[in-house]
Amino acid sequence: MTMTGYQNNVLRVDLSAGKSSAEPLRMDFAEKYIGQKGLAIRYLYEELKPGIDALGPENKLLFTTGPFTGTGVPCSGKLSVAAKSPATGTINDCSIGGHTALKIKYAGYDMLIFEGKAAEPSIVVIDDDKVTIEPAGELWGKGAHVAESMLQKRFGKDFGFLVIGPAGENLVTMACINSDYYRQAGRGGIGAVMGSKNLKAVCVRGTGSVKVANIDTFSEKLISYLQENVLLDDNTYVFDTGTTAFLEACNDGGILPKRNFSDTTDENWTQYNGEVMLSKLAGKRGCGSCGLGCGNFIKWEDAIVEGPEYESIAVAGPNADVSDPYAILKYNEVADDMGLDTISAGDVIIWAMEMTEKGIHDFGIRFGEAEKMREYLGLIARREGVGADLALGVKKASEKFGGTDFAMHCKGLEYPQYEPRGSWGMSMAYAVSDRGACHMRAYAPNEEVFAASIPPYTSEGKGEMVYGLAEYNAVKFSLCICDFWATLNYDIMADLMTEVTGKEWTADDMAAVGRRVINIARAFNQREGFNRKDDTVPKRIVKEALKSGPAAGQVIPEEAFNDMLDQYYSVMCWDKNGMMPQDLIDSLL
Amino acid sequence: MRIKILLRGTLPKYWNGEKERIVEVAEGATCAETLKAAGLDYLEIPRFGFVAVNGKKAMMDQILQDGDELKAYSKISGG
Amino acid sequence: MKRLKFQKAKCIGCQLCAQICSAKKEGVICPSKARIDIETSYDDGKLVYHDNYCILCGICEKNCPTGAIKMGDYIEVDPALCTACGICVEKCPKHVVKIREEVAVICDTCKGDPNCVKVCPQHALTFE
Repeated sequence: MTMTGYQNNVLRVDLSAGKSSAEPLRMDFAEKYIGQKGLAIRYLYEELKPGIDALGPENKLLFTTGPFTGTGVPCSGKLSVAAKSPATGTINDCSIGGHTALKIKYAGYDMLIFEGKAAEPSIVVIDDDKVTIEPAGELWGKGAHVAESMLQKRFGKDFGFLVIGPAGENLVTMACINSDYYRQAGRGGIGAVMGSKNLKAVCVRGTGSVKVANIDTFSEKLISYLQENVLLDDNTYVFDTGTTAFLEACNDGGILPKRNFSDTTDENWTQYNGEVMLSKLAGKRGCGSCGLGCGNFIKWEDAIVEGPEYESIAVAGPNADVSDPYAILKYNEVADDMGLDTISAGDVIIWAMEMTEKGIHDFGIRFGEAEKMREYLGLIARREGVGADLALGVKKASEKFGGTDFAMHCKGLEYPQYEPRGSWGMSMAYAVSDRGACHMRAYAPNEEVFAASIPPYTSEGKGEMVYGLAEYNAVKFSLCICDFWATLNYDIMADLMTEVTGKEWTADDMAAVGRRVINIARAFNQREGFNRKDDTVPKRIVKEALKSGPAAGQVIPEEAFNDMLDQYYSVMCWDKNGMMPQDLIDSLL
Repeated sequence: MRIKILLRGTLPKYWNGEKERIVEVAEGATCAETLKAAGLDYLEIPRFGFVAVNGKKAMMDQILQDGDELKAYSKISGG
Repeated sequence: MKRLKFQKAKCIGCQLCAQICSAKKEGVICPSKARIDIETSYDDGKLVYHDNYCILCGICEKNCPTGAIKMGDYIEVDPALCTACGICVEKCPKHVVKIREEVAVICDTCKGDPNCVKVCPQHALTFE
């Protein structure tokens, strides 16, 4: 059956042939996976052959909306960007904010699929149903901000842009995709996939409409959910502070990483906390359909960023032993412009700092060297000098130079800035995440640190806990709803889905979708050869005890880590080796 | 003994927007008891988060010392 | 007479105003057909505001050659009298009047109960 809310239309661009065509959406996939994350992974499971080179023309780059995109459902402005990851070899779906998701939907598409490889550096221009592929010309080689500015001057503000920087062009597996200048699909080298297709930018304008099943009741519910559920102070803190609020909580909670995760907490945190950063606030901006507006537009001398997000502050701040707020902001800006993920690029640089200080290999940079850290971003993005080695990422660089014990990654995706020894469940959440160490798959500190209920320093009950968090996020991100609508529950999701699609959905259906999405991602990875041996934790986490803060003395015993994995596999009905039985895989298709 | 209480996140709404108070409590008072004396019963607050004593996360039944700083957070979520 | 007021310092550029406007007036969600056009964008390191909305100035009414536009507490267009001449579109200082399907389309503040104000999450839009 056809559901409303969708455009029932997919744009497929074959860059090798220089052609594009539209085709109906696989509604059978949409019924099981809804949109965005789930739908994209289901498509990739169908369309990618196992074992392909993630940077080869056989990989596909999917920009996927959902049924809520463009409808005005609060916090539904996110866009999924998915492909096989060149950093990990796993599935990789990223979520990017801004306004481009809405423009894709109003242009008449649920999804854009880019396949093959353009013969020369190119841009793709989508103006409603008119699609053209043009040479990138002088845009190639430019920073992402400069390139977007040039595109904006040419096409105007009604267009949205998805742009890579030099890192993506040079196939650095930490490359991101930028949109609205300051929003990123950051992780897993998604920008390198775009670069491997010789695709510098996608430019989209949409002037069309989205239909929902019952516009009158939908409109009323939209307003009431927005005013009565979204705009609760439980959520509106993100307007006031953005994610900078996490800095103090993570410091007090003992999960703020310091000096390449060798310890937690930082006595200097007040020098670069939210209050300091927000003293230079120059404006506020949210995504399309957002009610909350987390984006803090900050100008500090010549450093201009939107954010800065907790992750970027933590990696360029305490984890690099830097406490100068300007240096942190400038790091963020340069990483964005170079088209580098602030997390992974930061992690590889702080790993190099430790390598140098330990005398294992001299990368020419030590903790606290903020200016050099910034310069290294350019070297990595262009693979110049020491940057050529660091562009390998933490996993491959440590395999080449040593220092694997403190190479903080899982499956080749560098660690986010939540120290697991202060939140044990996080070590397992990183390990079982579908794309390597990602904090957005199951955010354990929510339960273990920022709540009084669940003890953080034990493996007990963590299988169920991480599963609950993962199921919720998997369905939320398949609905294209932002993480920051934290009070959103399955009943509201189901009610809105019913209003939008015209098909009855229940809270149980939502839970089932969440579980299915986790499973289809695992099935993709299993087909690529991933299993328990890859669900790992860095040596540092299981060998070295933390020295400072509330989690001082904590180390996660290997048995405890393995116990958490066992619990999670058991909850998922996977075997001891983390493998899914064939009948479970069959049920997903 | 004197305890300085700091409220974070959404909790100041229980104090009409005030974020900081100094309270007098009996020797041996716990985090939970001290907050209750200041009008915050954490069991009654739906999205109560956690407490930190002198900048370190603590359990609700931790006993406070004179001059301690007790910080209480509402739940935060996201990443 | 109550009018829409917009405080740009509060606006987060979410476009919910245009989305709800089109939902209520056109039956589909389509910002390009909305009677309000408020959005923000970044341009060369600056945050830029575009704020086109009806301020009930009455210029369209004064310039309408057929008397199709009437303004009381809100604006009403009589489709029987409107010739779609487009003078109102030309004269509107806020560029929010459009001609569609041979008739002028103008904000009527939802007959004095504007939905854009109800939806605005940061109270950047008010009706006073």
